[in-house]
Amino acid sequence: MSHAVVSPIREPLITGNKTYHQITEDLCAPTEKAPGGAWVIAFMLSLMCMTFGVFCILWTIWFGIGSWNLNRTIGWGWDITNFVWWIGIGHAGTLISAILLLFRQKWRTGVNRAAEAMTIFAVMCAALFPGIHVGRMWVVFFFFPYPNTRGPLWVNFNSPLLWDLFAISTYFTVSLLFWYTGLVPDFATVRDRAKGIRKKIYGFLSFGWTGSAKHWQRWESLSLILAGIATPLVLSVHTIVSFDFATSVIPGWHTTIFPPYFVAGAIFSGFAMVLTLMLITRKVLHLEDYITIEHIESMNKVILATGSIVGVAYLTELFVAWYSQYPYEQFAFFNRAVGPYYWSYWGMMACNVITPQLFWSRKMRRSIFWTFLLSIVVNIGMWFERFVIIATTLARDYLPSSWSYYVPTWVEIGIFIGTIGIFFVLYLLFTRVAPVVAIAEIKSILKTGGNQYVGPNATHHHHHDHGHSDHGVQHAFQKGGDHAGTHDAAIAAAPIAPVVKEAVAEKEVEKVEAKSNDFDAAGNFIGKKDDLTKVEGIGPKVQEHLNNAGIFTWAQLANTEVSKIKSVLEAQGGVYARMVPGTWPEQAKMAHEGRWDELQKWQDELDGGV
Amino acid sequence: MVDFTITGKERTTLFAFMALGVVCLIATFLWGDPSDIEGHHTRFWANILHNSVFFTGIAFTALFVTCAFTTAYAGWFTILKRVWEAFYLFIGVGLILMAIFGVATFLGMHDLYHWNMEGITDPDSPVYDELLAGKKGFLNKNVFLIGTVVVLAVWYFFATKLRSISIAEDKDGSKGDFSFHYNIRWWAALFLPIAAFTSAAMIWQWVMSIDSHWYSTMFAWYATASWFVSCLALTILLLIYMKSRGYMEAITGEHLHDLGKYLFAFSIFWTYLWFSQYMLIWYANVGEETIYFRTRVDQFPVLFYVNLVINFLVPFFVLMRNSTKRKYGTLIFVCVIVLFGHWWDFFQMIRPGVLHTAHEVHAMHEGGHGAHATKDVSGHGHDDHAGHGHDDHAAHGHDDHASHGDGEHGHGHSSFVSGFTLPGFLDLGTMLGFLAFFLYFVMGRMASTSLEPANDPFLEESMHHHT
Repeated sequence: MSHAVVSPIREPLITGNKTYHQITEDLCAPTEKAPGGAWVIAFMLSLMCMTFGVFCILWTIWFGIGSWNLNRTIGWGWDITNFVWWIGIGHAGTLISAILLLFRQKWRTGVNRAAEAMTIFAVMCAALFPGIHVGRMWVVFFFFPYPNTRGPLWVNFNSPLLWDLFAISTYFTVSLLFWYTGLVPDFATVRDRAKGIRKKIYGFLSFGWTGSAKHWQRWESLSLILAGIATPLVLSVHTIVSFDFATSVIPGWHTTIFPPYFVAGAIFSGFAMVLTLMLITRKVLHLEDYITIEHIESMNKVILATGSIVGVAYLTELFVAWYSQYPYEQFAFFNRAVGPYYWSYWGMMACNVITPQLFWSRKMRRSIFWTFLLSIVVNIGMWFERFVIIATTLARDYLPSSWSYYVPTWVEIGIFIGTIGIFFVLYLLFTRVAPVVAIAEIKSILKTGGNQYVGPNATHHHHHDHGHSDHGVQHAFQKGGDHAGTHDAAIAAAPIAPVVKEAVAEKEVEKVEAKSNDFDAAGNFIGKKDDLTKVEGIGPKVQEHLNNAGIFTWAQLANTEVSKIKSVLEAQGGVYARMVPGTWPEQAKMAHEGRWDELQKWQDELDGGV
Repeated sequence: MVDFTITGKERTTLFAFMALGVVCLIATFLWGDPSDIEGHHTRFWANILHNSVFFTGIAFTALFVTCAFTTAYAGWFTILKRVWEAFYLFIGVGLILMAIFGVATFLGMHDLYHWNMEGITDPDSPVYDELLAGKKGFLNKNVFLIGTVVVLAVWYFFATKLRSISIAEDKDGSKGDFSFHYNIRWWAALFLPIAAFTSAAMIWQWVMSIDSHWYSTMFAWYATASWFVSCLALTILLLIYMKSRGYMEAITGEHLHDLGKYLFAFSIFWTYLWFSQYMLIWYANVGEETIYFRTRVDQFPVLFYVNLVINFLVPFFVLMRNSTKRKYGTLIFVCVIVLFGHWWDFFQMIRPGVLHTAHEVHAMHEGGHGAHATKDVSGHGHDDHAGHGHDDHAAHGHDDHASHGDGEHGHGHSSFVSGFTLPGFLDLGTMLGFLAFFLYFVMGRMASTSLEPANDPFLEESMHHHT
């Protein structure tokens, strides 16, 4: 629609003066190089953990659920704790993709791809637990509602455990579609750079993407629809997980605040895991220019906010337990705080509520060391939370004669370690086969987030930046009229009138500075236009795009850097994005100087202007 | 036009509605009570409490959302910041309104808050209530008065602080000078956790404690969501009106689209909280909790179901399309319904409990119903007021509290009581009076300074906002 105006107070989100081409180079690189030593070691370690986990799962199936330390009182232990923990972690991806899109947080583009991948892997780890905690793997199909051959035997539709199955499978499907939709144009970018078998594989993965306007249009509608579906799903999944507990009449489980509080806690732990992963990823894959301190600080603010929401919920529960004057409810909380599992309750409080408060300090939020440490602390805390809710509450039920204490066996611990292994194996593979940062989405914010355009060191001055870069220049904003009127007035008021026109697909094009006497007060070109199609490689369509970008004469084209022409073309997407305009300024120079014979001769040697 | 002025016509209209509100209040005071509880002015007090809580809440959420957006670097709302500033300054009025209830409660009024009845926490008293005695650390007149006054004073302090920095930025700031904005951001961030804790406590005191035995951990968040949706609806209505008068030209379909999205999203969020609270209580069917909805479904069915229709179905279906969020007519339609709808929601949160308390109090004063005078808590069964359909729930309760709570809620289920079963004309008139007063106050605040925060670093971004 129009170029966005960015407040001068905003910090850049892409550093290093990146061009579009440089972005492609940087983000495709990890998929094109052999992995380094650190990656190999991490992969081997993860693979070992995963193997041990698989061994423990087989052990469970072979010897039965008795190899765990569950008992009659405590029927849910590490299995469901881990299940809820992983599901919770799986919340950040879709939150970043869908809800932050709604809230217009541009920093999401740096981390959304990896967060979505993390979501999918975390949900896979979570889904494992309901499968194995039934003990008899071969009857797992009982979960699924289908009319079976054993008479009128159906699953219990009144059970929140069944709702969970629907919620999680829906969430997984939509998250996967969302993630893959985002990957399609990026896979095409990798494909266009690849050769041989890699080209074939990425060609298959990118579904024949050509980058035509129609493709982008469909891609954008699909992303919007999926975002619309995903937003309520983020809420629904953990809501239904909380129903698993809250629909019961067990004191400490049955409380109405559970749904929103579980969702807040899930986002909290999800962001912590995203931070843990991104801090390592940006270092190992050299992505510091795309996942900046600004991104880390924003995520730390989300951690602080959600941690505090969770804190409010803990204290609300505690207060209302007293306020209810319901002795069993009161006992449940008394037991959590000072009962035999007091360490897990206070561990939860310390990790989830107290330590995140350190992020009130800007220094802490911007410290990589502290962020990394606290992100792990939060994940430990959120594990404790689920353990507190599940094991502590069950351990002391209504009958003191059946009170019990529970410690896991090596098998249960092994399965948990195994899921961490599975998670990292998948994540590490992902970092090698797909661009970890969404190329197309990062490019879409370059002009509003690149450090050469916004922030204290911006060198490209958009017309609206003058108030910032030159404090003396006041904007004569016209208060009357519609938006377009305001916009034109702003251009007229700027000392030099650069031409900024819009391109298709809402992609902003590179601005080209030109001599001001060729322009009228409203910034329109009034000089004599040249026939740019004399330059080999430029057709009528391309000429139109160049005109739109403010290039009307051979002289202008001759004085335009190749990279700028390239970015004008890339903004068009499709075939334009793959044009190579390397010779165009030189050709234009010849045309401008009237060296037609020389130009003709050169063009005979050129193939399509290349 | 950035300098807002109230026209004579607006002034006359708003004063006419305020007069209507006063007349309705007087009429409610004189003749408003249900025939069986005359002399307590219950409906009169309920009306003032209901509207005070509702409009103070709108002011509070305006402050909260301003702080949240500021902290989150949201730029788009900057152009309408002054409207929310005017909204949140109303907290000062809310302080006075709620202090009236604080003082009245302190002086012993217990027509609204049953827990304040004399002797109710005294084991030797005939009106002793074991549950309320247990809650007296929170539900007592000192905490109510001091808590209300202190919390609202703190909110008002933040409101005036943020407003004064915002105005100072206009006067003493310049483009490129971000110091004022950083200062605002600092105070905004500080307010968020304070608001999160105190608003919950206030909602428990002001609203949840009317049904003095009942409790729900969700309740505070649920009521806050209701406030926020009301705040959004009123904001959209006011902005459209101001545009029609030629102000706020920089507010375009883009901004209204975003506000419409918020209205849509938070109407769904409200429904989500409503559903979670209702479903969990219904599913678990614990006597002490479920009585709250049992009462509403059985005795206030219109109140209960209409609440869902106007606060969920209407905004959900009307605002789902993109284009409807940009059409003034449609937006006005939805906003009027939703604003009224959440006033209705607070009506259903407050009135059934108040009516019940009134009957309780009346019965105790008259000595006509022997239930309380003779009961010991554990042995208290169902008197004839318990109502049909309650018995099975009470019987499932874990302990003696269930039957106690249940027996109490049974009163008055059979008859229609204007101002309690449904809002009557007097209640609607009072609401319009309060609304006119709120708008008059807000317009006065908007007139006192430029509508445009000229030196806010996000102003230009906000003016060029695109969805």
